[in-house]
Amino acid sequence: MKMDAKKIKTALADITAERDPTLKSAKLASLCSALWAERGVELVVVGGSAIEILTEGAYASGDLDMCHATKAALPIAERKEIMGLLGAKGGPRNWQVAGMYLDLLGPAESFAHTPYRRIEAPYGSFLVMKPEDLLVERVLMAFYLGESQTARDCAKKFISVVLTGGVAVNWNEVRRLANLPEYRNLPQCVQLVKEVADELKIKSPLHPD
Amino acid sequence: MNSKSKVPCIPIEGSISWEDWLKGRRFRREMGNRVAPEIIRRKRSSSDRRLKRLFNGERGLPFTPTEKL
Repeated sequence: MKMDAKKIKTALADITAERDPTLKSAKLASLCSALWAERGVELVVVGGSAIEILTEGAYASGDLDMCHATKAALPIAERKEIMGLLGAKGGPRNWQVAGMYLDLLGPAESFAHTPYRRIEAPYGSFLVMKPEDLLVERVLMAFYLGESQTARDCAKKFISVVLTGGVAVNWNEVRRLANLPEYRNLPQCVQLVKEVADELKIKSPLHPD
Repeated sequence: MNSKSKVPCIPIEGSISWEDWLKGRRFRREMGNRVAPEIIRRKRSSSDRRLKRLFNGERGLPFTPTEKL
């Protein structure tokens, strides 16, 4: 069902007034996903914004990153038309809208065979990057970005939320992805998952015994 | 559903309702806090200029405290 101008205005007012950064991102993702879907394009939340929505890790900054999950992207003119409905400034990739930034990036990069996660939000459902991809990628960043403590903390929080049942992942997929040439970081994944599991006093699903 | 805590889990298949996602927020934050500091937002990035301009010198809105989630 198409969103009419009144509904868009109401949604925009709600998102603009929202002071919780994670709710604000999720609601904006919901609204944009609905408007893009009307034109046949599925968006997906990626990067730090996806991590935040999945973990509440108090990690993300004030920008929301979205990619297109469908092969086709919207032409710039149509993007401008939609963002114009939202009173956005900037473009064609980086927009200031509803008191935050929205970055509309290219096609989503995912190696996992699991589905994108879906959240039924106030203005329509939206997709979030697969946690299997995010987990392996965050471990990679934790080990290879100059020993970044923030990257390590982010990966550990992510793993903790997964291990305690807040987010479901397919561990076989995690193992497969970590063995791909793009990552080749299974030993680091095993190590960090074990470290978090030990802190939580639970068994690591990636540990051999 | 997380069997131990009865907190809704973000599932692999299907979707999670908005109400369940909201209900799980505090649990997810608390589980992360068991292994790392509460706030881990990066101090800087390539987007600093625009972020600090919009958020009064900060890189985003302040996070809602765990006890208020």
